[in-house]
Amino acid sequence: MKDELFTMMGEMPAMSPEMLARMREEANRNLLRMKHFGEMVMNPKEPRVGPTPRQEIFRTNKSRLWRYESRRTVRTPLLFVPNLGISRPYIFDLMPKGSFVEHMTQQGFDFYLVDWGVFGDEDNGLTVEDAVTKILPRLARKALESSGASEMSVLGYCMGAPLSASFVATHPEFPLKNYIDMAGPIDFAHVGLFGKWLDPRYFDVDKYVDTLGTIPAEMVKMGFKLLKPTMDTSTNLNLWWNLWNPDYVSGFTALNKWANEYLPFPGEFFRQWVRDFYQQNKLIKGELTMAGRRVDLREIRCPVLAVGAKEDNIAPPACVKPLIDVVSTRDKEYVELPGGHISLIAGRGASVHCWPKVASWLAARS
Amino acid sequence: MADNPSQQLLDMWKRQVEEGTQAWLRMMGQAQAAAPTPMTAMDPQAFWRPFMDQGMAAWSKVMTQGAAPSPDLMGQWKQFLDQWIAAWSRVLEQAMSTDTFAQLMGKQLEGFLNVSAPIKKAAEQQVDASLAGLGIPSRGQVTALARHVAQVEEKIDALEDKLDRILRRLNDAGAPRTERA
Repeated sequence: MKDELFTMMGEMPAMSPEMLARMREEANRNLLRMKHFGEMVMNPKEPRVGPTPRQEIFRTNKSRLWRYESRRTVRTPLLFVPNLGISRPYIFDLMPKGSFVEHMTQQGFDFYLVDWGVFGDEDNGLTVEDAVTKILPRLARKALESSGASEMSVLGYCMGAPLSASFVATHPEFPLKNYIDMAGPIDFAHVGLFGKWLDPRYFDVDKYVDTLGTIPAEMVKMGFKLLKPTMDTSTNLNLWWNLWNPDYVSGFTALNKWANEYLPFPGEFFRQWVRDFYQQNKLIKGELTMAGRRVDLREIRCPVLAVGAKEDNIAPPACVKPLIDVVSTRDKEYVELPGGHISLIAGRGASVHCWPKVASWLAARS
Repeated sequence: MADNPSQQLLDMWKRQVEEGTQAWLRMMGQAQAAAPTPMTAMDPQAFWRPFMDQGMAAWSKVMTQGAAPSPDLMGQWKQFLDQWIAAWSRVLEQAMSTDTFAQLMGKQLEGFLNVSAPIKKAAEQQVDASLAGLGIPSRGQVTALARHVAQVEEKIDALEDKLDRILRRLNDAGAPRTERA
């Protein structure tokens, strides 16, 4: 039937060879689109995510420390601190050839991933302070012990950046070699729509937490979806357009799985996160105190790289860049790369722009 | 009228949309006249005009790219949709970044909390009573137990931290190290 269609098209008199070739290609793609769509609907396959081999080094309550071993051609290992709540960390090791973790281990970095875990109602008392002064120091020390290295680089992504920056600034005893902030908000005066919506004039965080306790994953999802209401339409349109391409479909399936798995926030964590960071912007002002210690970002004295994403609407570049102005080091660099909050670190663009930049910057200093 | 067939198609579509909007307006006018208390005159055109104009502009831009019309109609259509979605996204972002929107959202959320708080409490009490009748621990009791376990784990971790610190100090002081079990 396909051949008959092409024969008929070939007999049409006014059609140029170029036009005919395009139409044939489009017809072929449409057949593939229908085939793949049928497979996705009738026989959906669970994508295999997190393919890089790893071992659990330490576990405390819900949080775990994972080690991704490399050939270790780079002396200083890397501790990766992502966001707590919101989403699962397998986005950093999504699929073969589409994994930041895989890239870094191939470049010779021993990679340690902080997996905060999924907190339940019993963890509602957990605060940002607990995460920074209890969980993170413990995991960082375990990573250091496991690696046998004398120093360690730390990379904070998204919320993981203010958390890890607070940790390294208040723990001078931790042998920090390099620090990287990737799409992590530091100056919350420029944090975009979330900053506006969480303004204390309009958002009563105490009432929110007192009523709900744990901040449900559905609420978190709603907030993020609202941030970009056209995202789903755009995603589905792009899926339809690329549905003929099996590579795109497998990438989409994995990413879509991740994008729809939102995680709840412990209530007290959310309260402190919104109040101290979004509403009072205490971090950049140097007014944040954790376990009796003032969080002073000037205490970060090692080489620092800050990476902003041009299209980031969660942590716009303007709230990432200020880290560079406050740290006490001459070896500091800010780069703004193409992409959004997620596509900065996951996806095709990331493998071209972000991963090589981070790996080369670190390798030169490790 | 433009000679370009694509432009002709666009003009025709634009005309149809405008005629459709006029018809809608007339219909709305009749409905308002029939209403017992006349409302403020609505003008859907005024609301939709910016979006329509953006769409038209995007389509025109796509159509005028390149000297000759491209045979890749699907590609042009996709490009047009991308641009229209991007335009919508910008408009929505502008609207959502206003104080008015933030205020509205805050009120909606507060309303939701006001309604959900008593419902949640009543539901919890009901479930707890039912579970107690069956001799099954309630969600609150299980949560409290889990919290207790987490606290015990935290204390053990803290003790381990202290031991580590003591061992490090002993090592630093040159004292003979005793292995911890």
